[in-house]
Amino acid sequence: MMPLVAYVVIAVLSILVLALLVRKTRLDEPSEAAAEEEYALGLWDGQCLNLSERIFDSADYRWLRDELGFLHLARSLARSRKGLAIRWLKALRGAFEDMVCIPGEVSSGGNAGAHPRSWHLLWLTLRFHLALGYALLVVRLFGPCHRLIPPFDWRPFIPESSSREGRYGMVDLGDLD
Amino acid sequence: METYSITLWLFGLALLMTLILRAKSGGLFLHFPLFYSYITYTFSGSLITFLIYRLRPGSYPTSYWFYFLINLLAEFAVLAEVSDHVFEPYPAIRQFGRFLTICISTLFFILYILPSFLQFRPSSLALLDFSLRTSLTKMVIIVALGAAARYYRLPLGRNVAGLMMGFALYLGIYIVSLAAAQIFGKVLYAGIFRFMLPLGSILCLLAWTVAMWQFEVIPRTSWKLGEPGHETLEELSYRLSKLNTTLTRLVRK
Repeated sequence: MMPLVAYVVIAVLSILVLALLVRKTRLDEPSEAAAEEEYALGLWDGQCLNLSERIFDSADYRWLRDELGFLHLARSLARSRKGLAIRWLKALRGAFEDMVCIPGEVSSGGNAGAHPRSWHLLWLTLRFHLALGYALLVVRLFGPCHRLIPPFDWRPFIPESSSREGRYGMVDLGDLD
Repeated sequence: METYSITLWLFGLALLMTLILRAKSGGLFLHFPLFYSYITYTFSGSLITFLIYRLRPGSYPTSYWFYFLINLLAEFAVLAEVSDHVFEPYPAIRQFGRFLTICISTLFFILYILPSFLQFRPSSLALLDFSLRTSLTKMVIIVALGAAARYYRLPLGRNVAGLMMGFALYLGIYIVSLAAAQIFGKVLYAGIFRFMLPLGSILCLLAWTVAMWQFEVIPRTSWKLGEPGHETLEELSYRLSKLNTTLTRLVRK
């Protein structure tokens, strides 16, 4: 009898969830990331990218912690940077979704495979969502100053660029929380 | 019981005929070719099986199961139509609906449908189980399409929303009926089938008839890609690549 109850629950829940999902969507309905819009300003002229480099740069955190010894201030800075990084990533996602939802020409008869580049564009879209999801997860768990890809320092055959390390100064903030 | 079944059967045929006639007068065939191909197939199949039932009752079970099995596959046309209509206007995610449909179908086929073939049991039970699992897969696909449309805040319009809701009602009743038939066994499932399956089809057809009464143009932004003074497809592709590069650079930092 239990499988029948499970199938009834699945069927009813699916219908209810779908009814909620297909509710009328208003075109002027603000997206989740609309509030973060100012973070995405200047996305195409480099301003936004400079902002991201500042947010994810851990040099000042290291300076506070290692050179001045202000541990409390360093932690506070790391926390505020974490919030900024999440808002910046959400703003990036908002800008991306707005761009993805621009309509184009539609052939009559609904031939969805008409344009040869559509699969390439879909690949770019999915890749972006995967990378963004991963970046958000790492930033939420460890903060923006943490290395997003594990260093694999124990594997000697991977060369490490000293200039890159000097520029960004990777720090593990896992011990702070 | 006999009168009830025949009444529902004729009512279903009348609704299918109404859908086809409305599509012909309103030009809906051009906008929803896959859906109306499916409706035409269902109308022809129901009419032929009804005639066999009345004229040659001995051949009815064979013809019914033949029609039923083809119908299980033909129903994917409704999913393809929904996914095309939801995502086709947007070049960057034009193939997203088909991608979702293919991924979920493949995953469910390997993990959920295929194992049912490997169990030894009577063919009638195997057939019921196969139908149940296929219907559940379609339900998951339709909910996933709805969720994806909601995520991107894509306007669905009355036609597509009605198609989705009608199909979900039909699948929901089918899933419950097929599960009940498996549990209650051969003695009871003929009665359940005779009552519930036509009811599911009728509810679905009623929803579709209301939703597809006339074609509705979905309001979107006032401009499109490639129009004078606006972004082209190449520029969109470039910007998507640039955002990907930005993010990749950040992740690799």
